[in-house]
Amino acid sequence: MEHVLALFTVFAHPQLLLLVGLGTFAGVYVGAIPGLSVTMAVSILISFTFSWDVLPAISLMIGIYMGGVYGGSRTAILLNIPGAPSAIATALDGYPMAQRGEAGEAIGVTTVMSFFGGFIGILVLALLAPFVADFALTFQPRDYMLLAVLGILLVGSLSSGSLVKGIFSGALGIGIGAVGMDPLTFTERFTFDIPLLQQGISFIAVMIGMFGVSEALMQLHHVEKAAVRQKISRIVPSFGTIKKHLPLSIQTSSLGVLIGALPGTGGDIAALMAYDHAKRVTKNPSRKFGDGAIEGLVAPETANNAAVGGAFIPMMTLGIPGDAVTAIMIGALFIHGLNPGPMLMVEQPNMFWFIVGALIMANFFMLIFGLTGIKLFTKIVEMPRSVLIPLILLLSIVGAYAVNNSITDVYWMLGFGIFGYFMRHYGYPLGPVILGVILSRLLDDNWRRAIISEREDLGRFFYGIVTSPLSLVLLVAVILIFVSQTPLWTMFRKKDTQPK
Amino acid sequence: MTESEHHHDSSRDGSSDATPGGAAGKRRPGELVFTIILVIFSAVLLWNAYGIAGFEALSSPGAIPMGTAAVMLISAAMVLNQTLRKPRAEDETMLQDIVPPLVIVLALFLVAYGVLLEPLGFLPTSLLFLLASIKILSKRSWGFTITVSVGSLLGIYLVFRIVFTVLMPTGIIPEAEILQAIRNLFAGGA
Repeated sequence: MEHVLALFTVFAHPQLLLLVGLGTFAGVYVGAIPGLSVTMAVSILISFTFSWDVLPAISLMIGIYMGGVYGGSRTAILLNIPGAPSAIATALDGYPMAQRGEAGEAIGVTTVMSFFGGFIGILVLALLAPFVADFALTFQPRDYMLLAVLGILLVGSLSSGSLVKGIFSGALGIGIGAVGMDPLTFTERFTFDIPLLQQGISFIAVMIGMFGVSEALMQLHHVEKAAVRQKISRIVPSFGTIKKHLPLSIQTSSLGVLIGALPGTGGDIAALMAYDHAKRVTKNPSRKFGDGAIEGLVAPETANNAAVGGAFIPMMTLGIPGDAVTAIMIGALFIHGLNPGPMLMVEQPNMFWFIVGALIMANFFMLIFGLTGIKLFTKIVEMPRSVLIPLILLLSIVGAYAVNNSITDVYWMLGFGIFGYFMRHYGYPLGPVILGVILSRLLDDNWRRAIISEREDLGRFFYGIVTSPLSLVLLVAVILIFVSQTPLWTMFRKKDTQPK
Repeated sequence: MTESEHHHDSSRDGSSDATPGGAAGKRRPGELVFTIILVIFSAVLLWNAYGIAGFEALSSPGAIPMGTAAVMLISAAMVLNQTLRKPRAEDETMLQDIVPPLVIVLALFLVAYGVLLEPLGFLPTSLLFLLASIKILSKRSWGFTITVSVGSLLGIYLVFRIVFTVLMPTGIIPEAEILQAIRNLFAGGA
């Protein structure tokens, strides 16, 4: 229990506190500026904090993550451009509110609700993760393997219009992760006898390319999007408003944590699902949904911030990322010599509690920065894309170079940037690629361990799965994802919803 | 979405995992070629993966690579099958919607940056890159371009070289000597 004291590490060290604050501040703006995404910022930051100690590096990244998930809502409300993907649902009712001159109120509600959702997410993380980790110690290698597959499939299926494209992306990621020397047998894999490929492909180069360069190139399609300025009134919402929406916010927060905690799904999807949930359960919204209903802000904003805490649960306890950003955070922990998973929770519980503390602090900072500094904010957000895009590209290059001081990584990054650019155009989700790269090693190791322990016998392997409740549940989940995408299921669903 | 504004349709951009891009039900320009490349690429990978250990053992180092490459090949083939059946998106062209000239120019700038970085060094290469790309994108005066480029490069340099201590190739500018001279100056003054 004394490890829980590590919760206060961040409060006791002014330097760490400052970094969390700085990160949150930066995150709010990164999230808010259309064209800068949290995934992009955290990918680039990893390479810069490479030489730091682990605690300061994590403090900064947690701040950015928390602030960034929130920050996107502001531009969604003020400009009708979601600054970050997790704020797409926020724009649906936030912008109509701003058009009615209620931008201040919308921002206020959003901020308080994000804080609330964030808090619930962290609470669930703190209470649940230790138990999940204990439970995870009993997991067999095959369970890890199934979990990894499930995570990649979930990102692929929930995110994309096309499951096949999602599966392709995930498999591509696993393939990229396998390039180089096999760490167990020193056999070369996917190297094509090219010496350069023997060390494998730096996952940071893949990440920055896919989320930095390809995104920036995409932005070139609309360089000249004019911003419309809104008048901003009162910001701090009344207690009555908050109280009135408390029941809904508890529901959507819980939904957010749950979706965040599923391996492979994060705030983007949580927000959209919560908005849908609010639409179904709210009998008398303040206005019609889509015309500026406050409920339409409460739902996505609580959910996406609650998903942050949720996403840390599988990341810390199983080493399986909840979404693209946590996938990158796992990468950061790897770089600093930590190996997220149940053993981390057993051997270094301090690290877990430190992260919880940093999340709590970041949540408070988010509340403070959310309710202040609007004037400065409108200035910064109006930064023209013609300046922003070259800066993102420059930072991407510096980031890719900095990790190994190698120009090769820069070329990899550019290659993946251009490839990712086409993938986006043709509807292939990029999230599964990163998840695949991060999980490749885990998948490979656990498959080999599992099949060796069954003496290379596939029959025994499947027998093991169906006789263990946990493995069976995971296998059924994997199968369900496939079934839910087949024509048979769609026919069944259609029949079900048709009036009798 | 009306016909006139489809060029700004951000829903086709794939800006997030919740909203991947693409035009549902339509085949975008270049999509067929892209898909065919993916199929060929997957087949090559599968062949390579087979070469790692063949069908020697289920736990061989080649097992997962073969499995993933097979999944890639199958899914890419399925996508190809779907793509072939879709009608072409008549309102789109390659140069307007997929790779507009600006994207090509900026991509070439990036390659040039990579080539020049080591011989020229970080500061001159970055300055050239910022000047050229900001000028082209903003279409503003040289005064604006130079002020913004120099200002932001200075900011980036200070933050990353000094705070994050990232080492970039110095090239033709004796950075270390200059930094040391500045440090000496301050040390002498204190």
